[in-house]
Amino acid sequence: MLNRRQWLKAWSAGLTALPGAAQSGLVFPGKRSMLVHNDFPEDLETPVEYFDTWITPNASFFVRQHLPRPKVDAGSYRLEVAGMAASPLKLSLDEMRKLPQYKVPATLECAGNGRSNFRPRMPGLQWKKGAIGNAVWSGPRVADLLKKAAVSANAKYGNFDGADAGVAKTPDFVRSIPMGKLMHEATILALEMNGEPLPEIHGFPARLIVPGWDGASWVKWVNKITLSGQPDGGFYFATAYRYPSRPVSPGGTPKPEEMEVIEGMAVKSFFARPDDEAKVKPGLVKLQGVAWAGEQRIVRVDISSDGGGKWMPAKLASEDFPFAWRLWTFDWRPGRPGRHILMSRATDSAGRVQPVESAWNPSGYLWNAIDRIAVVVEG
Amino acid sequence: MKGVLGFLVYVCGALAADQAMVEKGRAEEKRSCVGCHGLRIIHVQRLGRGAWERELDKMARWGSVIKEREALLEYLVANHGDDKPAAPLERSANGVGAKK
Ligand code: HEC
Repeated sequence: MLNRRQWLKAWSAGLTALPGAAQSGLVFPGKRSMLVHNDFPEDLETPVEYFDTWITPNASFFVRQHLPRPKVDAGSYRLEVAGMAASPLKLSLDEMRKLPQYKVPATLECAGNGRSNFRPRMPGLQWKKGAIGNAVWSGPRVADLLKKAAVSANAKYGNFDGADAGVAKTPDFVRSIPMGKLMHEATILALEMNGEPLPEIHGFPARLIVPGWDGASWVKWVNKITLSGQPDGGFYFATAYRYPSRPVSPGGTPKPEEMEVIEGMAVKSFFARPDDEAKVKPGLVKLQGVAWAGEQRIVRVDISSDGGGKWMPAKLASEDFPFAWRLWTFDWRPGRPGRHILMSRATDSAGRVQPVESAWNPSGYLWNAIDRIAVVVEG
Repeated sequence: MKGVLGFLVYVCGALAADQAMVEKGRAEEKRSCVGCHGLRIIHVQRLGRGAWERELDKMARWGSVIKEREALLEYLVANHGDDKPAAPLERSANGVGAKK
């Protein structure tokens, strides 16, 4: 685990500060300059200007942690598959590597990405746009593991626990995934991220990949899968990461029974370049960004430069995989100098369109309002 | 005149007391809000008094031992209240190639 002493050491090792940024003196080994929401445990946001490639390199990938990070020893590590299974398993990392390995490109987004935009505000990390990234994950299918364990036909959930544990009376982080999603061919236990062993900060040695679902489902440091007829009753599944089944007025409190587990993600797009409030030269201005829709496919992204009156289609880049974001570009020729408001709006294969307003909800999840930036064209 | 002076003394006294309370709260944060996470996750929040009350209840349930709750609450509302502008996010320096 990277503690205060280690990052101070890394800092004093002679790394120089980047010009222009509000420097904190913090350094996170393996990570580029990131937006720091918390240093212990690390919650790091990717600055939008890094989103210029379809694959988000590990060095730029956002980090979200609930509890202090565990240090897992590769040699003594075992994955336990227990509960409603005729042949429970205890697999070493080598044994997991010997199972058929699958590669899944998939976008990972924190359910709270964009929370800082909601009013009234709510507690939680005040993410702007960058609690999202796209990577190629590889490892065995969860379905193969469960079949190997001879999972019972009556099991309804896999309850996933990682090596991280609560401090004092803080709850342990356990998430339950319904059997249908677990048996999907793209649901894997990733041992690699973008061709490298999973970095410790991203869940070494094994992270659950639940394509199209929120980051909370993607349990890190997985060391136990309990097959059960019941979902886990702990805080992080029974209370946290829930979304009201009916619209709530801002600041309102829905009844607990109206709060549902988040499955799948909203349709959204946003600008990666230029920066909000950037000054640009007149003539051709290259706009670019990303769009994704959880389990759905992006079918189009439209751009408006007149406050949403007229929409013009952006060009979607060629990589097109289920569960992975699309990069988009738009050649914009501003008609006049001065300040312009640009908007991006995505539409998905289920017909969902990015809305003008993102519905307020008590924990500030699934922000997906039409993105807007201001650009100043020099005269 | 005497009344006005008395009032002013009262107001200044109250403000000083508030400031002392806030400082006491700042010290309490350093004592009761560490160990499980850094202070940054607290300082990036912008919450009203009620929301801070609920946050302190939650942390106390989870094991934070708060001795000066009233002062801590005053400090949080005064520095990280929902009427304050959003906290500017710090940027880390480049750590690519830095030793683990
Ligand atoms: C016993 C451990 C512990 C102590 C001590 C503690 N916290 Fe926390 N706190 C947590 C955990 C666990 C989280 C959740 C972290 C996450 O999910 O990222 C958290 C999260 C938070 C958050 C983010 C919002 C939320 O509810 O997730 C705030 C704000 C916060 N704590 C404030 C405080 C304050 C103020 C104190 C001192 C009174 C404090 N904490 C002391 C364990 C603790």
